[in-house]
Amino acid sequence: MFGEVRAVDDLSVAIPEGAIGLVGPNGAGKTTFLRLLLGLVRPTTGTAKVLGHDIAEGVPVRERIGYMPEHDCLIPDMTGVGLVTFMGRVSGLDADTAISRAHDVLQFVGVEEERYRKIAEYSTGMKQKIKLAQAMVHDPQLYIFDEPTTGLDPRGRTEMLDLVRVIANSPGRNVVLSSHLLPDVETICKYIVILDGGHQIAAGELRQLLSGSADRLRIDVRGDREAFAQRLRETGLEAEATPTGVHVARKPGVEGVIFGIAKALGAEVRYMGREIRSLEEFFLELVERNEAAVSV
Amino acid sequence: MSISLPTYTRREMPLLGRRHRLRAIIVTGLRREFKRPAVIVSTLLGVALIVIISTAILLFAGLFLPGQALDLSFFFVPASNQTVLFFITLMASLVGSALIADDLNSMALTLYLSRPITHADYLVAKAAILAPLISLIAVLPLVLTPFVAALLGLFSWTIALQAIGLAVLLGSLFTAFYTSVTLLLSSLTHRKSYAAAGIFAVTFGLTIPAEILSISINNPALLYASPWEDYLAVARAAFGAPGGQIDWPWALVILLAATLVAASLTYLRMKAVEVVAG
Repeated sequence: MFGEVRAVDDLSVAIPEGAIGLVGPNGAGKTTFLRLLLGLVRPTTGTAKVLGHDIAEGVPVRERIGYMPEHDCLIPDMTGVGLVTFMGRVSGLDADTAISRAHDVLQFVGVEEERYRKIAEYSTGMKQKIKLAQAMVHDPQLYIFDEPTTGLDPRGRTEMLDLVRVIANSPGRNVVLSSHLLPDVETICKYIVILDGGHQIAAGELRQLLSGSADRLRIDVRGDREAFAQRLRETGLEAEATPTGVHVARKPGVEGVIFGIAKALGAEVRYMGREIRSLEEFFLELVERNEAAVSV
Repeated sequence: MSISLPTYTRREMPLLGRRHRLRAIIVTGLRREFKRPAVIVSTLLGVALIVIISTAILLFAGLFLPGQALDLSFFFVPASNQTVLFFITLMASLVGSALIADDLNSMALTLYLSRPITHADYLVAKAAILAPLISLIAVLPLVLTPFVAALLGLFSWTIALQAIGLAVLLGSLFTAFYTSVTLLLSSLTHRKSYAAAGIFAVTFGLTIPAEILSISINNPALLYASPWEDYLAVARAAFGAPGGQIDWPWALVILLAATLVAASLTYLRMKAVEVVAG
């Protein structure tokens, strides 16, 4: 609770190992959720455990977490290798290990001789890499990436996503990826938690959530989708035209009806199969549904 | 045919304790400060000037301070040297003003507090960067003066050692006050120049009006508002020097209370800063 505002409420989620996406509109409670994970705030009610440690413990939790913040937060008058070494030492590494690890992780993220330059002279992409390196230096079990591709050009974004993917696929390493860029989340994460208005509105395996209902078909039609859906409705089927295609409730013999209508309308059926949504479609659908429920 | 693949086991790196983490922040902070020419120059100049002035007073006491007894009370003279006040203020504003303000401005606070340290650890480390630098001005010259005096045979070692002990206590008191107040001011702003101006305001903005008003309206109680006058009252009592218009116990209470209140407010302020911003 922040004053009178309940930032995150009724959030009960068991996050499995692997890469987890954390998405939600602005003000959904993502930042508060990250603060909770880092042990920087305590829940007013309830408990939370991260890697087996109660978040109220704070320090033992953060020993196991590598956090890559969204905003620019580097110390400009330090060199890249100096900062990463320093952060390793603040995490508890001895001086020799910190220096050695700093060079290893800078090599991994692709910062070469630039590591000896002052951070003030770095480009945005280079700063993002340093932020990633400082999160990795103490070899944490859990990585929290807050908008890791913010401000990056397409090439930089691809590079960063590749690095995040390598970390997410490393044995014994877990990733929480908070991002507004849903395609980023979709390509990296196996699991997802969607927040809105401080509530969890969906959580689970991404593939399952996006696969939608087995009772519905999605038809990609070249031609007038609305007319197609209308004709389907006229035959007694439950159908809806959306920007991603025509969605229709599955019934015995529905395929024949669909092809019949397509022939009659001169439309081309390019795809017909189980309804699979993109994360963006799923997200928008959930948020709209949640907003409607709240307004009622 | 049998193929055996090597099994990969990750070796967990042992992490050292919080004392080590704080030491890392302190050592790195001090190294950064001693790379700054302004800090080096003001430290050397401050220590050198105060030691030279104190030694000159010592050697020419008969000339400068006729009637001054050459006992423990003599050491109130170097302790009350206003150069000490000026250089402490300068050191606090040069180093201390940036200690937290720069971290707020660059948002590096997020990096620190996402590490396995607490807000209190962070503040203790910052205080431990500033305090030694202030004590170079507040303690070192006042310790050197009796030491030199004893070496020159001007004072007995008994008196010199007493003076050294009192100098350490008084210097530490003033160091603690300035460290605490400086960190509070630094935590209140993202601009170190504002914090630096605040330090000068606390020093001279309280001292000069308090001294002028106490004389003009003939009310010495106003001198309690000046940290310098409070320090002088305590120093005067410690060295057994005569004079003084305010009571040293109240002056000591004011200095200690201000130190504790500033430290507590700094802690509360830092706890209120949103480290992970959305």
